[in-house]
Amino acid sequence: MEQKLIAVVAAALGVPTSGLELETTADEVEAWDSMGHINVISEIEAEFGVSIPIEKIADIHRIRDFLPYLGEKA
Amino acid sequence: MKFALLSNVNIESVARRVGRHQPYLAQGYGAWTQELADPASAMWSFGPSAVFLIVDGAELLRGQQGLDSALGEIEGHLAWIDGASERSPGIKFFVSTVDVPAQAPRALKHGHLERRLEQHWQAGIFRVSANRANVYVFDLKALVEDVGRAQFYSNKRWYLGGLRFSLTGEKLIAKELERILYAQIVARKKCLLLDLDNTLWGGIIGEDGLEGIQLSESGEGARYKDFQRCIRRLGEMGVILGIVSKNNQGDVFEVFENHEHMVLKKEDFAILKIDWSPKAQSIAEVAQDLDIGLDSLVFIDDNPVERESVHSALPEVTVPEFPADTCELSAFLEQIYKDCFFTLESTEEDRKRTEAYLSNAKRAAERSATVSIDEFLAALRTKISLGKLRDDDVPRAAQLTQKTNQFNLTTRRYTEQQVQAFRTTPGMAVFIASVADKYGDNGKVFLGIVRKLSADTAELDTFLMSCRVMGRFIEDQILDQLVKELRADGISKLRVHLIPSKKNAPARGFIERLSGGRLLSNDASGTMTWEFDIAQTSPVSRSPYAELLTR
Repeated sequence: MEQKLIAVVAAALGVPTSGLELETTADEVEAWDSMGHINVISEIEAEFGVSIPIEKIADIHRIRDFLPYLGEKA
Repeated sequence: MKFALLSNVNIESVARRVGRHQPYLAQGYGAWTQELADPASAMWSFGPSAVFLIVDGAELLRGQQGLDSALGEIEGHLAWIDGASERSPGIKFFVSTVDVPAQAPRALKHGHLERRLEQHWQAGIFRVSANRANVYVFDLKALVEDVGRAQFYSNKRWYLGGLRFSLTGEKLIAKELERILYAQIVARKKCLLLDLDNTLWGGIIGEDGLEGIQLSESGEGARYKDFQRCIRRLGEMGVILGIVSKNNQGDVFEVFENHEHMVLKKEDFAILKIDWSPKAQSIAEVAQDLDIGLDSLVFIDDNPVERESVHSALPEVTVPEFPADTCELSAFLEQIYKDCFFTLESTEEDRKRTEAYLSNAKRAAERSATVSIDEFLAALRTKISLGKLRDDDVPRAAQLTQKTNQFNLTTRRYTEQQVQAFRTTPGMAVFIASVADKYGDNGKVFLGIVRKLSADTAELDTFLMSCRVMGRFIEDQILDQLVKELRADGISKLRVHLIPSKKNAPARGFIERLSGGRLLSNDASGTMTWEFDIAQTSPVSRSPYAELLTR
């Protein structure tokens, strides 16, 4: 599941998976700007079939922070 | 290619999805009309050759009070677009239609405001497009309709970052943008080649006959008629149409002339390759005859083996997957249009192109291209399983004699009882074979009935094969094997009969491939008999390629 998460984030940002790990933060990836952040959230919602509440989105800074929202479908 | 992307909403996320070339961007309320209206704006100095206007309907009408004020707003925008396109005739403008979702709850009696505004905008841009050669309609509304608003928009993205469209919506817009951009820089395909049986109609004309094929105005056969209508439309848009089919010409021409639901006429086709030669060879000839590149050809065939043969021998030819569900034929052709033949406009010249190519093709001398059919056949991993007829094969064997018309040397029809009797008659042998390949099992498709006439002579009473596996020289390999078995049985002479019928030209072609035959008789009814000396040699000269199992 963690590998899939990294792959989905990479695809959303248009960057290779090799540069990403669970601890990677948005600040470390140039493409992960505010628009990139929205695209990451949309891709994760679509790929994992989940919904991340808008209230929680400001608290997400690194890839690991998505894990609690992936649910059982992943 | 330099292009500008203007929108009344944030469009940058869409722009990131469009190819390698980053456009000039102007986005947000007011920004885009200002760029258009001001001849000194940065967009014009960027020097785009195309300008896209992606107009979000909700944003366009935000804050408008009442119908009259909204209509006035729309008229104002249309005037800016018209003025800008008039000043810059060398730039192509692609202006979107709008989709206006309901903005707030409203009583039924007052519920049609959004529809009226939408219609006013669409009518306005179609009017501008009709008046100005450099203005085209980008049908955003159609993209919304294809997937529905729930899929096309995303409230979360809107509230988070002012992104109106969902991922799905953005990808659809980006794809349409790319298609339009590429249509201006990449040459489209020129020629669409079509199979006939189970492609332009349902069923097999050589087996099912004029009355038996599926093709009608309504009901099940209508899916083929609708498909033909779409194909004819492509022809009218300047796509050259051709037929590449393994069939008897006479059968096909009868359909063209006598089937009331044939939308496509013989004259619609610049190319008619209707014979029994390998399709890759026919297609290579088409490219020569029309004097166009193989990469300008698109080939549609329902048979995966034929597609594979063409793809492996002529990789430049585009060979789309055929839809598994033939109800989707029209949608399939729409996709082929978008992928291969998409065009911004079809000119009178385009429409006349088919006629020009038709005469080219007529002038072209008979040339034949050699294509490695052997490599293709080897790649199919064909397995033939040949054996004496078993009890439970009898119904299938009788059915094969009843239904097989094309590859059938004698076209003798037998009942189950007759077949059963042959099995047990001394001096007779009945063989059946199944054929499998990498695409799957074709089932029992071959039947041969051999009759011993004397100690050293036998005849083929029946030698037939289903059209499903025709054109793959399976019959050659089976005859070669039968000859070996007969020789081991002391037979040195084999008589082969051909009873010509309206349908069995493929069987004649097979006999013409055999070598060493001596014509024994050619009676008044047309039946011909050859005798082959099989004591030392085989009449089959083709070397075997399939794996042959005997039981």
